Amino acid sequence: MADIEKKEATGSGVSRREFITGVGGVGVGAVLGGALLKGILLPDEVYAIPASEGYLLVDTKKCATCASCMLACSTAHYGKASLSLSRIQVMNDPLGLYPNDVAQNQCRQCPYPACVDACPTGANHADPETGVRMVDEAKCIGCERCVQACPFTPSRMQWNHEDKHAQKCDLCKDTPYWNEEGGPEGKQICMQVCPHNAISFTKDVPVQTDAGYDVNLRKDDAWGQFGFSTEDDGMTLSGAQGATYGGH
Amino acid sequence: MEKELLFDSATWLVWLAPLAGVLAAGLTRRRDPEVVGDKVLRHDKAAIIEHWTHGIGTAVLLVSGIALGVWFLPSLAGSGEPVWNWMDVHFVAVVVFLFGTFYYGANTLLAMKRFKEHLPTKDAIDYTKRHYGLLLGFKKFTFPPERKYFESEKMAYILALGATSVIILTGLLKVAAHAIDIPAGLMAIATPAHDIATVAMLAFFLAHVFFAAILPASWPVLISMFTGYVSLKHAKHEHRGWLAELGYEDEDAKSDEPAA
Repeated sequence: MADIEKKEATGSGVSRREFITGVGGVGVGAVLGGALLKGILLPDEVYAIPASEGYLLVDTKKCATCASCMLACSTAHYGKASLSLSRIQVMNDPLGLYPNDVAQNQCRQCPYPACVDACPTGANHADPETGVRMVDEAKCIGCERCVQACPFTPSRMQWNHEDKHAQKCDLCKDTPYWNEEGGPEGKQICMQVCPHNAISFTKDVPVQTDAGYDVNLRKDDAWGQFGFSTEDDGMTLSGAQGATYGGH
Repeated sequence: MEKELLFDSATWLVWLAPLAGVLAAGLTRRRDPEVVGDKVLRHDKAAIIEHWTHGIGTAVLLVSGIALGVWFLPSLAGSGEPVWNWMDVHFVAVVVFLFGTFYYGANTLLAMKRFKEHLPTKDAIDYTKRHYGLLLGFKKFTFPPERKYFESEKMAYILALGATSVIILTGLLKVAAHAIDIPAGLMAIATPAHDIATVAMLAFFLAHVFFAAILPASWPVLISMFTGYVSLKHAKHEHRGWLAELGYEDEDAKSDEPAA
């Protein structure tokens, strides 16, 4: 025997079936209408996020690949010294020749952050106050689109294999194991620990080339007094240096 | 440029599917169980659609979800494109699952007796002991006058109901996070809750497949999930209480009546 419809008095004489059908019908119409509106009638969205208020600059001709920055980075963020968990990755080519044997792969806090754009959940985002590109770990779903999206090799986004979320340099804005204030207005631990002062910080947007982020940091300290080149190419010695040191 | 996830390009389908299920329920005319000759109508066409959309959706969701990594299990899919492909599979299964579940839910709202017949009664423990004691070979037990659903199935239904509800609630929250800013604290609860409910659902699913499809005694009922009918002979042995509710009078029936 088929269902018998009951006309329950709901004030308007609408049966339960009519109510259910109405809810479903209106809902389907609303979703389809909204999809049509968004897809066809509304203009394309403009993607615009603020620039970061800080950038790390490095001098690979100063870097000794001691990895102090890497160990300090992981310690400040996770409480343990781990090269795998560092958000700055320093690479040394053992078969390479100076000055092209070292790479300090810091996040460039790109004006157009492809990693932020790629994130489907907003976990990787630009901090509203400082513009720092950083990951909200609770929102990360582990798709690693950000890691793939980074235009640089190696990717400046890393996969935290222990805690199962993406991570990146946040200019030490969130360092639970370091009691200094970080972020663009504070300190960056990699810069603090580097024994060669091979890492620097600027608030100005660097020129968007490799040379914009790999700069000469050898002019203002004792580097030249040790006989090392303070010129941009890292090879040329000044007349005085050449006389005392005898060249490379 | 990596491809866009379906969860982002086709989010509207996730919201459409449950509402389409509700609309479909409103437009569906159900057929109640009845004895037809030497067969009993156990599942009408709506029940078959509900079951298989929900069931196949669940199966694919479990496989793809486990591939993506659940709770303490790491992602089996690795990283990069395999992960995105599995997420797209998960999306398709979500749409099917939501349609089926909400179709069932709305149909149930239209006939609450269909919900009540799934709930355990006070005979739950006694009937289950007799039923499975006999199956395991303890001859001191007699087969209880089970109703349409075995009491053990009704108890499992509670687990499935709870797990499904948590999965849907937290899952929709996770989908919403693709479009709007959901607080991180809420996401930190939603994702583990989704994972724990998944494990509960997996336990139910494995038990359900074993008892409903692998155990030979259940094959007549498995066939009914395709044809809609079980044999009267099967119903007399396994579901005497149900036949009594349908008003069928069997001269061979024992005197004990099911409790109200």
